[in-house]
Amino acid sequence: MKATPGVRTARTLVHVALIAASLVTLTPFVWLVASTLKTNQDLFHYTFFAPTISFQSYRDLLRAEPSFLRSLMNSTFVACTIVSVQLFFSSLAGFALAKYEFKGKKQIMIFMLATMLIPGQVTLAPLYALIYKLHLLDTYTGLIIPGAVNVLGIFLFRQSILQVPDELLQAARIDGCSEFRIYWNIVMPVTRPMIGAFCLLGFMGAWNSWLWPQILLQHSERFTLPIFLNQFRDVYAQQYGALMAGTLLSVLPVIVLFLVLQKEFVAGLTSGAVKG
Amino acid sequence: MVSFPYGRAAFCLLVLALLSGSWLALHPAYHQKVTLTYWTFAKPHYLAYQKALPAFEDAHPGVKVDLQLVSGQATGSRLLATFWSDLDAPDLVETEISTAGSFFRGPLKDIGFLDVTDRIHQTGLWDGMVQARFSAYTTRGRIFGLPHDVHPVQLAYRRDIFEKEGIDVRQIKTWDDFVRIGRKVTIPNHRYMIELSDSGAENLEMCLFQRGGGYFNPRGECTFDDETAVQTMLWYVPLVAGPHKIGNSLGGGQILTQAAEEGYFLCFVCPDWRSKSIEQDIPSLAGKMGLMPLPVAEPGGRPTSTWGGTMLGITRKSKHQDLAWALAMHFYLDKPGLAERFRQTNILPALRSAWKQEAFQEPRPYWGGQALGETYARLAPLVPPQFSSPYVVTAKAKLSEALVACVQYYNANGGAGFEAFVRRQLALNAGQVRSMVNRNPFSQ
Amino acid sequence: MSSSINPAVAPPTRAALDRSARWHRFQHRAAPYIFVSPFLILFAIFGFWPLLRSLILAFYITNGPKSQVFVGLANFRYLMADPDFHTAVRNTAVYTFWSLFVQLPLALGLAILLNQKWVKGRAWLRLAFFAPNLMGQVFVGVLFSVLFMPQYGLLNKALHGLIGTPLDTKWLGNPALVMPALVITSLWMYVGFNMIYFLASLQAVDQDLYEAATVDGANGWRQFLAVTLPSIKPVAIYVMITATIGSFQLFELPYILLNNSAGPNNSGLTIVMYLYNNGFVTGDLGYASAIGWTLAIGMLIISLIQIRVTGDRKERAL
Repeated sequence: MKATPGVRTARTLVHVALIAASLVTLTPFVWLVASTLKTNQDLFHYTFFAPTISFQSYRDLLRAEPSFLRSLMNSTFVACTIVSVQLFFSSLAGFALAKYEFKGKKQIMIFMLATMLIPGQVTLAPLYALIYKLHLLDTYTGLIIPGAVNVLGIFLFRQSILQVPDELLQAARIDGCSEFRIYWNIVMPVTRPMIGAFCLLGFMGAWNSWLWPQILLQHSERFTLPIFLNQFRDVYAQQYGALMAGTLLSVLPVIVLFLVLQKEFVAGLTSGAVKG
Repeated sequence: MVSFPYGRAAFCLLVLALLSGSWLALHPAYHQKVTLTYWTFAKPHYLAYQKALPAFEDAHPGVKVDLQLVSGQATGSRLLATFWSDLDAPDLVETEISTAGSFFRGPLKDIGFLDVTDRIHQTGLWDGMVQARFSAYTTRGRIFGLPHDVHPVQLAYRRDIFEKEGIDVRQIKTWDDFVRIGRKVTIPNHRYMIELSDSGAENLEMCLFQRGGGYFNPRGECTFDDETAVQTMLWYVPLVAGPHKIGNSLGGGQILTQAAEEGYFLCFVCPDWRSKSIEQDIPSLAGKMGLMPLPVAEPGGRPTSTWGGTMLGITRKSKHQDLAWALAMHFYLDKPGLAERFRQTNILPALRSAWKQEAFQEPRPYWGGQALGETYARLAPLVPPQFSSPYVVTAKAKLSEALVACVQYYNANGGAGFEAFVRRQLALNAGQVRSMVNRNPFSQ
Repeated sequence: MSSSINPAVAPPTRAALDRSARWHRFQHRAAPYIFVSPFLILFAIFGFWPLLRSLILAFYITNGPKSQVFVGLANFRYLMADPDFHTAVRNTAVYTFWSLFVQLPLALGLAILLNQKWVKGRAWLRLAFFAPNLMGQVFVGVLFSVLFMPQYGLLNKALHGLIGTPLDTKWLGNPALVMPALVITSLWMYVGFNMIYFLASLQAVDQDLYEAATVDGANGWRQFLAVTLPSIKPVAIYVMITATIGSFQLFELPYILLNNSAGPNNSGLTIVMYLYNNGFVTGDLGYASAIGWTLAIGMLIISLIQIRVTGDRKERAL
């Protein structure tokens, strides 16, 4: 198919516009990186990079109290644990709801769908009171357990497990596999692409979560990165360089994880919407 | 790894969870080994206390103090949550003056801070400290904290530019003088006479205090729509809005540094604590800055006001209340220590007898050789009181709202109908605070 | 399983087989209950129970979780009369409007362009537009609070250089500019995110339909209306509803952007921020529950209207 000159010009313009738009989109990232490589004096003198590169911001960040490293560890621990627990519980329940007929199944589904319609903020206050009564305020457990309940995850897993052929499961049963072995050895390996997407989505959610840790945590030694960074801005009001270094290091893990899982992620993210 | 049924990504997350979990288990938090935990939200205080701490620990063998720099937000809402919920609280907490009242929302017996009224009277602190500074930490006649400071306000000005422009600060006695000169030297978008906020109440409130007004009266009734407040607003808004404005504000940190260096602002509202931030953040202006008393509202008026403040409270949950009190005394009463800290922070302590020391008389090169301590100490006895209420933070937000509305009105309509608008707006916003106060079933 | 393969082991007895078969039948019947129960128990405790509690709590004023006073419907009455709540609702509605009528069309436009085979570097462009979404709202808030600074912030510098706006524009200090600043930030964050959804649905459109339409003489805009739009409609509705729900729950972004505040004149106050301030700064968990339920009911009504409106059109089209 040959394009007329008019169409060619239009296409060039579209390319220029798209490239410009993508550059504008990426500019904040470039600025962020640049701002971490300047001294505090240079920070606002130069719009982007300064002639001399300095790691002062990173040194300031690592020296600050509460410790950035500790917050990084807290975030890693909490986010990874939440995702692992979510993954296990959600996929197990999703499997049950996809491949078994049992009493109460319909009720459970309707019940969970109904609660999905109610925003989480409704339960925020009573959940806080409950966590207080269980003596879980300011603990990792208090952070992890409410975060491990992910109704959406169950529906995602149910949907993707529905596509696993029943014959596969029957064959395994004839071989004498227990139901858990079927889940573990047959169903899960087949749904792996979905799991990749689920992991990234869950990880992003837990990693970026702010409101729940904000009201739950009291002591700085258990702060997650979003809490740490927000407080850092308050306490070290003058040190924008270190603040930006903290921001950059906080988003880096998610970016890395995304680049690794990109394909699975886009497929998993949209599968619910496109197919459902 | 290949046989892990959830795949590579999940495996990595699981391993990371285990690794970070073991790291956390191997690095228990420091606070488990300490006797006293001390929270402060102000970095200058933190740095200064760090130096003063070894002397206390030496005098009390076996006592370990964990000094923590915590954000102002944490000492506000987080500490409140700690008080509600029986969690481990720090032993001593410094909290910002406007948030101090929010701890007084419940009945007296539920207040998380220790009632130190009797200790204050027994130790003679009531007479030894600037009494106006206790009012913000008092509720229903009981005192729940010690004042860290006095925070008298002066104006910091660009001595070099003033000289170039032929301005003699001795001729600036009243705000009228100040505004008249300000109109001459202000160049819109390039240079303003003074840094003043048109969106937050922090400078407006200072002007209100200077004239004897405030957010609440000693009975806890909201008063920022009284005649004093109306007159203050009518006077303040044209300073930061309309065609003849002489004040503007940009923000803090490096922004302010840059603006100050460029001569964007000629004057800064400068309580004692801020004189140190100016010294540290804008070193290039050494010798080019000066301090003058606040212009008075009318002849014979108060040549100062107050901005900010810190309360030191001991928590009721503290297991070592006497030791905590001893530490408070060490920080707040030890005169050589106070002198040393003054050199580090420029903050005038509430203890009056400390001001006679040499540190407070020293000429400061940054301020063109002025004796900074002495200039503040002279004004300190005149500092107006602030009265506590659980709703000071709300009132502050509502006064800011009124300010923004008035600024918008003035920008759009100028002086026409302005006074009526100001009255209406202040009454509206103060009314909102009152309805909030009236809703509280606990404050009996 | 392995025993039947290994010839060295004697074949199992009939009784043992029976036992094993019974065990198998039993675990097959019990399995679904066991599989859903860990989740169900957690959900009952940390999802459903708080939901019930919030219904009760909404009729109390509390001071933290410890002390509470029954006030009947007073919370709801105060809520309806409180000007701050009105501000919060207005701000939330304005923000929702922008995300529905500017952000989503932009996302769709980008998706259509990136779906053209002649556009080069599509994978790279897609990644670039999506990248901001990887940053959480808190991190974006911290970053943009610096970018929006007057005098030295990147945005002011850029705008000053391009169109000569004053350098000291106070994006976050001027109540009239807070919402634009918020919309700019959220466009940056979410256009690429929604674009991904539209793109996936565009790629799933049956190409035969386009050919049929071309044969019928439809092209360009007509083709878009007749083929593209109906095909991506389920996804469009899904994206629209999620965007509405997300906008209604907006909190972290403005709160962090405005340095832990509602901004000058409450210009950045949202409904959830209002809930947070009352519940967890003031300590009135009862009032917070009342706000939560009001929000939930409002969201439910809006979602139903959206489904209704878009559903009707679908029937007309058929």
